Parts: sequence; structure tokens; C-alpha cells
Amino acid sequence: MNNKGRDALLFILPLICFVILFILIPVIGTLLNSLRQDVSFMPKRFIGFTNFVRLSADQKFWQSVLFTLVFPAISVFLEMVFGMVIAITLNQTLKLRGLLRGIALIPWAIPGVISARIWQMIYRYDYGLANYLLKFVGIGPVNWLGSSSGAFLCLVMADVWRTTPFVAIILLAGLQVIPTELYEQAKVDGAGPIKRFLYITLPLLSPIIIVALIFRTIDALRVFDIIYVLTGGGPGGATTSLSIYGYRFYLLGDFGYGSAISVMLFIFALIFALIFIKAGKFGRLSV
Amino acid sequence: MNWSSNIKKIFFIFLILFFSSCFQEKKHLTFMVGGAPNEVDYWEKLIKEFYRKTHIKVELIRQPTDTDQRRQGLIIPLRAHKSAPDVFLMDVVWVAQFAGSGWLLPLDAFIKKDKINLGNFFSSIINQVDRTEQGLVALPVYNDCGLLYYRKDLLDKYGLSVPGTWSELVTNGLRVQTELRKENPKFYAFVWQGAQYEGLVCTFLEFATSFGGGLLDSVGNITIDRNENINALKFMYDLIHTYKISPPNTYTEMKEEEVRQFFESGNALFERNWPYAWGMHNRLSSPVKDKVGVSQLPKYPGKRRASALGGWHIAISKYSDCPDKAWELVKFIISYNTEKALALDLGWNPGRSDLYDDEELKKGIAHITVLKRAFENSVARPTLPYYTGISEILQRHLNGVIAGREKPEQALHDAQAEVELVVKNYSE
Repeated sequence: MNNKGRDALLFILPLICFVILFILIPVIGTLLNSLRQDVSFMPKRFIGFTNFVRLSADQKFWQSVLFTLVFPAISVFLEMVFGMVIAITLNQTLKLRGLLRGIALIPWAIPGVISARIWQMIYRYDYGLANYLLKFVGIGPVNWLGSSSGAFLCLVMADVWRTTPFVAIILLAGLQVIPTELYEQAKVDGAGPIKRFLYITLPLLSPIIIVALIFRTIDALRVFDIIYVLTGGGPGGATTSLSIYGYRFYLLGDFGYGSAISVMLFIFALIFALIFIKAGKFGRLSV
Repeated sequence: MNWSSNIKKIFFIFLILFFSSCFQEKKHLTFMVGGAPNEVDYWEKLIKEFYRKTHIKVELIRQPTDTDQRRQGLIIPLRAHKSAPDVFLMDVVWVAQFAGSGWLLPLDAFIKKDKINLGNFFSSIINQVDRTEQGLVALPVYNDCGLLYYRKDLLDKYGLSVPGTWSELVTNGLRVQTELRKENPKFYAFVWQGAQYEGLVCTFLEFATSFGGGLLDSVGNITIDRNENINALKFMYDLIHTYKISPPNTYTEMKEEEVRQFFESGNALFERNWPYAWGMHNRLSSPVKDKVGVSQLPKYPGKRRASALGGWHIAISKYSDCPDKAWELVKFIISYNTEKALALDLGWNPGRSDLYDDEELKKGIAHITVLKRAFENSVARPTLPYYTGISEILQRHLNGVIAGREKPEQALHDAQAEVELVVKNYSE
């Protein structure tokens, strides 16, 4: 190895150490834990796939799986749609474009728990903002978080509000590298705005869209903070995501079963990432 | 000096900084405690006093207010066999889990050595909670139990008495609610904890026990789906949906603080809450100051009164590297004087029963006899290491019923079946 190579290695060595220490080792630890009876008040021992067999018969687990899959499907879809609209708007030459871009980013800059608290103040039954506003049009009060579907939609709304800016900013970056000549050419050829979007913007943006999808889907699969604050997994377990469900077993002291839940979540995230990467045809298209 | 050796230096400095932060040395006896900010500040004051008396330095590890986070903050170091914290407070329901995990140091030898008289504590509480297979592992610092708060001004106005039974509560409540609704559409007669969380299990335990049921049978087996419990749960549903004397957000939002605020804003006649609400209701800025009375919770005619037992117990970690000093701290905290100070300054109800006859406390806490009787009638939640698993099932089904998604009988049958599975999974 030449000097340059060695220097480069030295530079990334801290990062490699960091990844091994704080990511790789815990991941392997979780994998091993999921194969053990690791309950704080019971003797520890290796039990193979027993935790996973228990999972397969656990109705609440499947309920959480369903939630964990449906929640990202709906919220990420909405985030992509809104994010695209915002990105295209902010890509136009507008007055105060810089200011608008800054404002659009605010929800993303707010820590998750705090934005969940903000939404809690909106959804609250007695002193909530939503019911306060409804009073003026003579409706309500509505018990927003009271029904399964209501709680679900409330969570989706809070999540979409918070993460749309992230999608918008990624898409905006993608939009800016699309050469304007293409649009001008298309205009000359008589393509309307919809055609230009479908045949120029969308295909050229697709690698960026895939990146945004991967980030957002994996993030939404692991959703924890807004649920912990807003519904606690209720009502009646209807909004229990896999992370929330796993956390319950952690408090119970059953680390083995909790780990098995985490492993399943990891597998789901992996499958989605692979599907998107495959669909995005990385390697063939250069970003 | 060449370029590459500089990089090496920077790299090694980085490594040293990185790893030195991983190994912090423990210097003092550590005490982990959380709660409201004023409570944690008060603990700071107490450990200073402890230092003046014993010259043992204690480091306070502050925890948040949230109970689950406090529990999580304890499970991490204990599972890792860390020597800090040496001493910590536990919610009553964790004691079985922590003791079963072998994380708590038995206190029997210390108690014998220092001749601590356990007769000065509520024997029912010590026996239900602290005495485990591993020995006596904890001692109560303060006790909590469910109480009925009422607006004495409103009861007086309509010539009504404090309800002794649940049906009286409904009749009196409906009467006042109908009157007050004419002016205040937000008024509800009875607020209680119904959100899907631990507090719901406590309220259910109270309704169930005072209907003649309960969670455990006489030999300690879990029996959730008996008729008395079904009737109690039906009654909880009726409070919201049939009599409509409890607000519809009972099952979504009502935890102790939401209940307290609701009652305090003057929109309720009766309130089920923990003892801490008394001080809040009577603070200067409270709209219901001096209008509140407190009594034991009502019951079903011919059955017993019941208050769910809460509270915090103190224990020493099995992994403490200075158990003798730790015991000195525990002894100081559970002493007559400290628990009395906690009662007077923070309004915590002493874990010691002898303090309930203290003249000064009797003067300071007018309702102390109500509290004493409530503690004598207290029912603990099942003291099993895997109680959380049971609680989680109960929370879900109980909340499902009062939200109208499940029928009481079916819900409790389902809960029973699920609980039996948990018991099977966690017992060998």
C-alpha cells in the first residue's frame, strides 16, 4: 500500500471503528439475543428459534406488523406527493424563494418528540386547537385519538407534516440538476406542463425519488416517537408499531423476545430497501 | 515531521479521547431518583443533610418525571451489572421484577443489625410488596392509593351526601350534572383514569375489588374473567356511555394529570385520583381551592372498599460496591424524621404507619385518617415478575371495552386466555 492509501485508511479508520462499535456489534448482539431465552428473571439459555415461533402465534405481533406496513405506505405516499409539489414550487423563480425554502424546512428541523407534543396540543379533546376551531363552525368536539382509524389518521398527518420538508428538499436538489434546455426543447415541441412533468421531470428524478423513498420508508417503518407521545400505541393497541411493541418487552425484561421483534423489523426494512434499490436500477443509471 | 506522522498523532489523540469517555470512574455513593423537578431538588437538599450527619457523600443521578423512562433508566445499568446507581427508588409494581431478576440486595441482615422495627410500617404493604423469595428487598418511602375527591360546595348546595356506594355516586352525580349543564355544557359528574396505561389497571382493580372481584383468587392464581369483574367493567362502560357522567375522552386521554386539571377547572363533581392531587387542588391559584373534600372510594353494597396501592420503594443494587454506605442512606431516608419531612414539604404520604399518628402531621394533613384507612384497604396489583406483560393485556382489553370496541364479558375472557399464555411463557 502506498502512502496515500495508508493516509486514506487512517482517515476513515475512526469511522470504521465507530460503525463496528456502535452499529455492527449491537446488531450482531441483537441477532444473538433473539435466539436466546433472555428474560431478566429467568435463567439465560440458547433456545434457537423459539422466540420466532412464539412471534408467529402472537396476534398482537401481527397486528403491529400490519400497522408497521400500512403506516409507511400511506404516510410516505402522501409525503412524496406533497414533497414533489413543494419541491416544484420552490424550484420556480419566485420572490423570497430563499425565505420560503427556509420556512418549508421548519417542521423537519423540529425534534420528533417536540413536534409530537405540538400535535398533541392540536388533537387534545378538551383544550385542543382543532376542537377550538371546529367550535366556530358549530361542529364537535371530536375525540380525535379516540377511534382506531382516527388515531391512525392523526398519526399519519403528524408524520406527513414533519417529514414532507425532508422529501421536498431532496427532490429539490434533484430538480436543480435537470438542465433547463430540456424543458425549453420540449416546449418548442409542443409538450404541455403535464407531459413535461411525466416525460422529463419524473424519469430524470427517479434515482432521487428512490433515495427519498428508501430513507423515508425505513424511517417510517421504525416509527416510535410520535406514537409514544400521541397515542402510546392505543387505542386498544391499534397504533402499536413494531418498535413500540418491542419496547414493551424491553420494559418487561424479556430482552430475547424484544430482540426477535427488532430482528423482524430489520428484515422488513432490508426487504424494502432491496426492492427499492432493484426498482431504482442503481448501477445502470448514474445519479 | 512529515505529514503522515501528524495524522497519526491526531488519530491517536482521537482514539484516547474516544475511549477515555467510555470508562468513567465512579467516585461516590450514587442515588438515582426522578420525579417532578421540585421533588428532585428536594432530594438534593436531603442528601446534603445526610452528608452533614454522616459525612458520606452522595451523588444524585437525576431521572425524568415519566415512570417508564425511570424504569428504563434503571434496567440499563442493572442489566449491565453496573455499580451505579447504588440506591434507587422503584414503583411498587417493579419490585417483583427487579427482585426476581436478582438485582436487589436483601436487607434482612441490615435490618437485624440495626434493629429496624418493621412494625412501624404497614404490614399489609410490606408483605404484599417487599417480602419476596429473595428476602426483604425494599422498604416503602411513600405510599399512594386511589381516593375520591368531591366538590363539597356543590354537594352542600344540592343537599347531597358523599357517596358510599357506586350507585349513590351515579344518582348524586346525575342530579348535579343536570343542574350545572344548564350553564356549563362541559360539566361532567365523575372523572377518572381510563386512558390505555397503567393507571387504567389501577382504577379497574378498585372497581373490581369493590364489586367483590379482583385479579387474584385466594390461592394467588390470576382470575380475570369472573362475574364480579365483568359487572365492574360494565359499570365503567356505563359511566361513560349509559349514564354519561364521565366524559368521552376518558378512554383516550384521561391520565392522572388530565383528570386533575379537569376537576380543578371546576368542570367535575367527583374525581378519582392519587393523594398528590390534594395539594394541587388547594394551592393558591387553584379555582377549586377550599371547595374540595376527600374520602375513600365508594363500593358495591356489602362488599369491601378498595384502593389500588401505588407508591415508591427504596432498594440497594446487588451490584453496589459500597453496600454499607448505601444502607446508611436507605436507613436515613426511611427514618421517621425524613419521611415526616417528605410528608410535610412534598405532601408524600409516609411509607411508615407510625407517622399517621404524629400530632404535627395530623394537624398539617387534615385528611390523614382517610389516608390511613385507605392504605389499610389497599390492594396491590399482582406481584409477579412478569406483571408488565399482564398489565399490557389488561390495559388493551379494558380500554377496548370502555371505548366501546369490545364487550365486557368477551374482553375479560380473551384477557384471561392471553394472560394464561404469559404465565406459561414466563414460569418454568
